[in-house]
Amino acid sequence: MKLFLKISFIIILFFSNKALAQNIEVQNFIQDFGNKIISIASDKKSKENQKKQHIIDLIDRNIDAKWIAKFVLGSHYKTATDNQKEQFFSLYRQFMINTYAPKFNGYNGKKFAVNNVSKQSSFFLVQAQFYPKDNQNPINLDFRVKEQNKKLVIVDFIAEGVSLLETQRSEFDSTIKNTGIEKFLLDLNAKINTL
Amino acid sequence: MFEVFYKIFLCLRTKTFCHFSALFQKRFQQLSSILSNFLILFQNNKMVKKISSKNCHNLQKKIFIFFLAFFGLTQLSFSTDIDKEEDLSELSFESSKPNIYDPYEKYNRQIYNFNEKIDIYFFEKIAQAYRFSVPKPARNSVNNFFTNLYSPISGFNSLAQGKTENALATFSSFFINSTLGCLGLFDVAKKKNISYQFEDLGQTLAYHGLKSSPYLVLPLLGPSTGVDFVGLTTEKLANPLGFDIFNTNSLASSPRITMNSLNLVSNREELLDTIKEIRKNSFDSYALVRTAYLQRRKNQINN
Repeated sequence: MKLFLKISFIIILFFSNKALAQNIEVQNFIQDFGNKIISIASDKKSKENQKKQHIIDLIDRNIDAKWIAKFVLGSHYKTATDNQKEQFFSLYRQFMINTYAPKFNGYNGKKFAVNNVSKQSSFFLVQAQFYPKDNQNPINLDFRVKEQNKKLVIVDFIAEGVSLLETQRSEFDSTIKNTGIEKFLLDLNAKINTL
Repeated sequence: MFEVFYKIFLCLRTKTFCHFSALFQKRFQQLSSILSNFLILFQNNKMVKKISSKNCHNLQKKIFIFFLAFFGLTQLSFSTDIDKEEDLSELSFESSKPNIYDPYEKYNRQIYNFNEKIDIYFFEKIAQAYRFSVPKPARNSVNNFFTNLYSPISGFNSLAQGKTENALATFSSFFINSTLGCLGLFDVAKKKNISYQFEDLGQTLAYHGLKSSPYLVLPLLGPSTGVDFVGLTTEKLANPLGFDIFNTNSLASSPRITMNSLNLVSNREELLDTIKEIRKNSFDSYALVRTAYLQRRKNQINN
């Protein structure tokens, strides 16, 4: 029985250490992501095109746009054809870049801090804050992180309690129900060109 | 007998099993790595001999067999591609998923469109003019003043929700800002690290169980819910700048109208960039605003 207790103790110790190590890894991943955004946005030497390219690289490396695209398509993913799915994945990545690149680029922050990391089912919820330069109240920005092929990737941004994924899924669902997926893809393409 | 085993084997390889096992694959992989580390540890400490000896306890044997069986079963699904099997259509993040209950969507959309037109041609222009003509420190002071004025209501709501620490911070902030902060024009409390979460009556009602109410779009006031509308109306009647339906004296109501208008313009100015972004990026701004509002309220209530 003593041996059994020893084994249990070792297993518990191993699991808790692993969980702690994972949380630290996730924390470092998001801290690094936030720091890079601040560093790109405050870089005055690079040209706008170079800065945009840095942000695109950052998005491609750290955000799983395909997973997000699949999620925001919701129940329509089942009914869409393979061609429509591929088209949507490609358009959504571009939509994401065109929407977030200027935001990240224009960010006027002095500090980014990760406050807490917790595990929620198969995701990590990372609570962080951006501190603007003009001493305004910090902006609460949480991240949902997922481990994909032994690599950490961001799958959701939650600004002041509002999840990007849930909001877009609801919006896209309403639009597709009204117009149909073909028209929606055309509208998405047109929208990308106006951003 | 062979046929039975063959059928069981086929069942194990069905899509359902693969899907199930794929979801747990990573956990099992971790387990297998732990198990291998564990065995190395055993070997180093010569504990294996103890385990395999005849004196080994039955319970320990069972545990060991269970681990081996568990490990073996997981190997069946190791070739499954998680990404191919993952179905995200039903997946949602419970912590941020809003409960969308919009039975009056048709009417809400009409009011929303009306509000949008009024906003584009009137309120937005005034807010832009306010931003252009009033410097930022002065705008911050106006914002601080109204936040401070409403803070006692927030304090009482915190008390009603049993959040005594937040209530104490709110009343302390009100006292400090009303005195040292020149009637709330300067947020001195924040500089002394006294911060609080704003609580309104809608949150208090939801906290006490009134959570499910229909989503509403109010004329000129924007998104709300049935519960929030009740909370808003009650608070407006209670607060010093709220509606005074019993007083029709124009001299008494004139400063009230001025103050309310200034508060409205100040709030709208704060939302200039956000609303501009929503109009620019969205396909269906009504659906976007509805989801964002309900999520934010859920977050405020849960916090």
